[in-house]
Amino acid sequence: MREDGRHFLQGPRLDAFSKVTGRERYAADEYPGEFLWAGAKRAFVPHARLLAVHTDRAAAHPGVVRVLTSLDIAGSNRLGIVRNHQPVLVDETIRHAGDAVALVVAESRETLREALELVTFDHEPLPGVFDPEQALKEGVPRIHGDNEEGNLMRAVRVRRGDPDGAFRGCDVVVEGVFETPRQEHACLETEAGWARVDEAGVLVVVASTQTPYRDRKEIAAALGLDVNRVRVIAPYLGGAFGGKDGITVQCLVGLAALSAGGVSVKMWWDRRESFLASMKRLPARMHYRLGAKKDGTFEALSCRLYYDAGPYAGLAGEIMAMGVEHAGSAYRIPNVNIEGYCVYTNNALGGPFRGFGVPQSTAGMEQVVDMAAEKLGMDPLELRRVNALGTGDRNCVGVELKYSTGFSECVDRLADHPLWKEREAWKASAPPWKKRGCGVGCMAHAIGYPALIPDEANARVELTESGTIRVYSGVSDMGQGNAGTYLRIAGEILNQDPATMEVIQPDTDHGLPSGTSSASRTTYTFGNAVIRAARSLKEVILRSGARCLEVEDIDSLELVPGAVRIKGSGRKAALRDVAALIDAVDRSCKGYFRTPYDESTLGIMYLGAHVLFSFGAHLARIEVDTLTGRIDVVDYVAVTDAGRVLNRAQYDQQVQGSIAQGIGYALMEDYVMKDGRHETGDLATYIIPTSLDVPDMVSIAVETDETTGPFGMKGIGEVVISGCVPAIANAFHDACGVRITRVPLTPERVLSALAGQGGKE
Amino acid sequence: MADVHVPSSLDEVFRLLSDEPSATLFAGGTDVMVRSSPDMRERGPFLCLERVEELRGIHGSATEVRIGAATTLSEVIASPVIADLFPLLREALRHVGAPAVRNMGTLGGNICTASPAGDSLPPLYILGAEVELRSLKGRRRMPIDAFITGPGRTQLEEGEVLCAVVIGKEQGFNFHHFEKVGQRKAMAISVASLAFGAETRRDGTIVKARCAFGSVAPTVFTSRLLNDTFAGNTLNTAVLDRAVAIIREGVSPISDIRASMEYRRQVAGNLVMRLEGAGKDR
Amino acid sequence: MKRKISFTLNGSPVVVETDAARRAVDVLREDLGLTGTKEGCGSGECGACSILVDDVVKLSCIMTAAQLEGRRIVTIEGVGQDGELHPVQRSFVERGAIQCGFCTPGMVIAAVGFLKENPDPTREEIRAGLSGNICRCTGYEKIIDAVEDAAAKLRGGGSGG
Repeated sequence: MREDGRHFLQGPRLDAFSKVTGRERYAADEYPGEFLWAGAKRAFVPHARLLAVHTDRAAAHPGVVRVLTSLDIAGSNRLGIVRNHQPVLVDETIRHAGDAVALVVAESRETLREALELVTFDHEPLPGVFDPEQALKEGVPRIHGDNEEGNLMRAVRVRRGDPDGAFRGCDVVVEGVFETPRQEHACLETEAGWARVDEAGVLVVVASTQTPYRDRKEIAAALGLDVNRVRVIAPYLGGAFGGKDGITVQCLVGLAALSAGGVSVKMWWDRRESFLASMKRLPARMHYRLGAKKDGTFEALSCRLYYDAGPYAGLAGEIMAMGVEHAGSAYRIPNVNIEGYCVYTNNALGGPFRGFGVPQSTAGMEQVVDMAAEKLGMDPLELRRVNALGTGDRNCVGVELKYSTGFSECVDRLADHPLWKEREAWKASAPPWKKRGCGVGCMAHAIGYPALIPDEANARVELTESGTIRVYSGVSDMGQGNAGTYLRIAGEILNQDPATMEVIQPDTDHGLPSGTSSASRTTYTFGNAVIRAARSLKEVILRSGARCLEVEDIDSLELVPGAVRIKGSGRKAALRDVAALIDAVDRSCKGYFRTPYDESTLGIMYLGAHVLFSFGAHLARIEVDTLTGRIDVVDYVAVTDAGRVLNRAQYDQQVQGSIAQGIGYALMEDYVMKDGRHETGDLATYIIPTSLDVPDMVSIAVETDETTGPFGMKGIGEVVISGCVPAIANAFHDACGVRITRVPLTPERVLSALAGQGGKE
Repeated sequence: MADVHVPSSLDEVFRLLSDEPSATLFAGGTDVMVRSSPDMRERGPFLCLERVEELRGIHGSATEVRIGAATTLSEVIASPVIADLFPLLREALRHVGAPAVRNMGTLGGNICTASPAGDSLPPLYILGAEVELRSLKGRRRMPIDAFITGPGRTQLEEGEVLCAVVIGKEQGFNFHHFEKVGQRKAMAISVASLAFGAETRRDGTIVKARCAFGSVAPTVFTSRLLNDTFAGNTLNTAVLDRAVAIIREGVSPISDIRASMEYRRQVAGNLVMRLEGAGKDR
Repeated sequence: MKRKISFTLNGSPVVVETDAARRAVDVLREDLGLTGTKEGCGSGECGACSILVDDVVKLSCIMTAAQLEGRRIVTIEGVGQDGELHPVQRSFVERGAIQCGFCTPGMVIAAVGFLKENPDPTREEIRAGLSGNICRCTGYEKIIDAVEDAAAKLRGGGSGG
């Protein structure tokens, strides 16, 4: 399947120049001519019945154009992907502190700020629900009165074999309850966008979004517009990581534009509003039990996973289902009982974040695996090797692995690494007041959507009239560089220098629906579609080239940069001339791809299961300061099987960036809520790693050849982050002999764990 | 919107202050501008001291060093005089925020903010720094520990400007130590900090020592009893155990989003343990 | 209070008439159209709004317009000269230091300012020098690589100052 050469796949990112000079214009950077500012009045109460909204004073404030409430919304005023129940502007019930109750449109930002203070509302407080396990008990107030299962949003259960019987036959059984925190994406560009109703009456929304095509439908339904009267454009995003997987500013700014008479309206959340109103990684509490034979063979796994969804469904149920699907990490376990519960609370919105539910359950599983290794007296990597999934094995939910599976090799490569092999000497040379430990964490991560949701992409590659190549991207580039990669892929097939080509960012008017920028699918799925489109275009170009050069056989022709050439001869036709001979409609070729799926998995679990996975094995070497409790990650090794590496720098960007977020997740990031209030509502209190908190990292690629992937690759965007918490938590146990089951491992938790050991250290 | 004045002389400052006594003074803006909500900014007025010539620079006399209040933290760190005479102060300032914050923030600002977490304060207490205050009524000098009266509270009166920090050259310390505990390694607000200065003999015996802690009390925590505990001893386990007990007894930390009271108390004591065996052979 | 404020911006004199209390970042982005300077937090925590003020790195989100008066301001748009990338920018491109790019302008400004003070830094010094600039994408490693590389370029080119 692979094309020769591959040289156009290498090189610096094609978006680097415009970004390094400050010229790239993100959604936040547009100040569209004469425009208005829109801003939301936030509830700041976690649960209440909304009785009245008072807008008169704000509306009378000089410079205020409109003050809008739910009564001004012609559509359903409901957002949702699986369940449509999140109001754009609250009409009945406030369900979290970040809910919006009114929208102000004003001439300047200062006026907007003043007017928002003048909007008031009457409400009747309702008792709040803040703990997911408590939320499921009898007599607890319901967050959605019409939900038949109380505050349970969704339960997913997978049972295989005879777990109860198998546990009885195990030589070793270990168990633990593990907790992971709410994590904030904290992308540098906060939510931003602008909108206007154009001359044709179409609502045009330009937004920092991962999901232009899905947004379009949601905007239309919520605001009561025909979907053909809504156009969504997604420029380069200033980071997203899942935090812009869905509606943020889009409906609000769209609603404002609908009442602005053709004038553009801009909305840009400041950091506090972003923290208050945006989605977070779902916190989880996980009860794990693992049974093994004396030789280390895993026999049985039982776990109950509770995910705190916050007040609305969003994709929370699907996130929890991914957690269930990956609850057994990358091991063969014949008998399992996995239960996942996704629960409504009045906490912050829960939503996608790099890893999509997997970092949580992997944190639980990989720690319990280490506990088993200790009890068995086995080397933790050896235990993982014994149970490692290979091709033909069935994973914990029973899916047979038929695609590339390089997990064993990941474990072997890690076991061979000097930072692992020489760990005992390193640990023994710890300086005063320091303890050193080494820990491993392994993981699997599915590529694309689950079986029931078609994971499809439609690419369009065009030979322009002037003879250049243009690629229409259907999938947002949130920073991972997929837009440039699409150019490189098309350039590779068409033998054109990507620097001479152009990529059009997603625009529902020009591109074709291609799903979301998520699920480790952007290069895998859309890249495959680009290959197909480019191959079709290649044939069109060669046929036209044949006419141009007056030859019969297109096999005698080849594409060279800027031209079609007769092989072995100097004669060529410039692409501009070739293009002139092709009808406009034929100069544009489409390519379709659907990620492999297996319908037989539909019976296994909600939405069915995945069939294609990336894998990894990590080592963290840490130093614990016994006086302050601070943990330094000194060395980090990530061995990853994400198929072939297309572009090494971009591959390592994903690996390193994931590790940094994973280190934050393991050591410091904790979006604290108390009774529905946001206690860490800014970047001074929500702590993320700086350049001094992340070490240099070792990234090793195990390049399996994934034959279904573009040039043999699989997704690299998410798999890495799941290894960090367990690797670091296991390293802490290795260093100090005590396990902290709740991350982040803050200095305070460390010191109290050490004190609990009885020493004064 | 409010007005912002950027005077270049003290005379101008005092003239502006007599016209607008309610003006908010700031220098680098790393505290005032961060705390000012947008609408507070609309009220003002503000008086920015960053260009007042008399408030800038580091000047030495025979016995004292005078650091202008609007000298940035970066300038203090870069000063060879400070590095030579007060390495403890330099070390502590290196732990403030990150370069851009230190390029903007000033020593006077750090003092007037009077945060329990102000990183310059523990070393300034140890060095016996004095602040020089001026107003149209005249000038006065007072020790920094008298100037700061509580979290965010100082003796600064209306119409008065903190002009300089004055530190005696003769400190007699040949050993110093500073450690800050934060939630990360940069851009961190202190959860607890220890500044320690001592005069030691070759064998490590302490002739005199001074200890000051940040973030574990409403203002910097110092204790004569603690300082006396070290005198005549080496930094051995028995002495440090006694010190730890005095510290844990003496501090009065609060719990906030960054750390609990219990942790702060525990870690304040732990920080001196790091000194075990130090101060020898100098 | 509206006032005329004069300063040098990327080598050219400019005069803006604006409220003295407006944030410098808003003046640059909204009035002068220089959207390369980003805002990530509005409270001096992230470094995305870094600019050079008389060659010193400062945070334009906690600076008022009044403080621009008479200063020599350099933003990301003025870092390169004569249409050429600054060596720091070149290294950022070559060493893969850019992902979403939203922190990049502030990071480049911070690196330019840092290398003026410390032309021959260790990796650890670079880490400390950039520690006020939050990047959520890269994990910093390639940014450190780029600054190390740029330092070598600047020393080699004899234009370290």
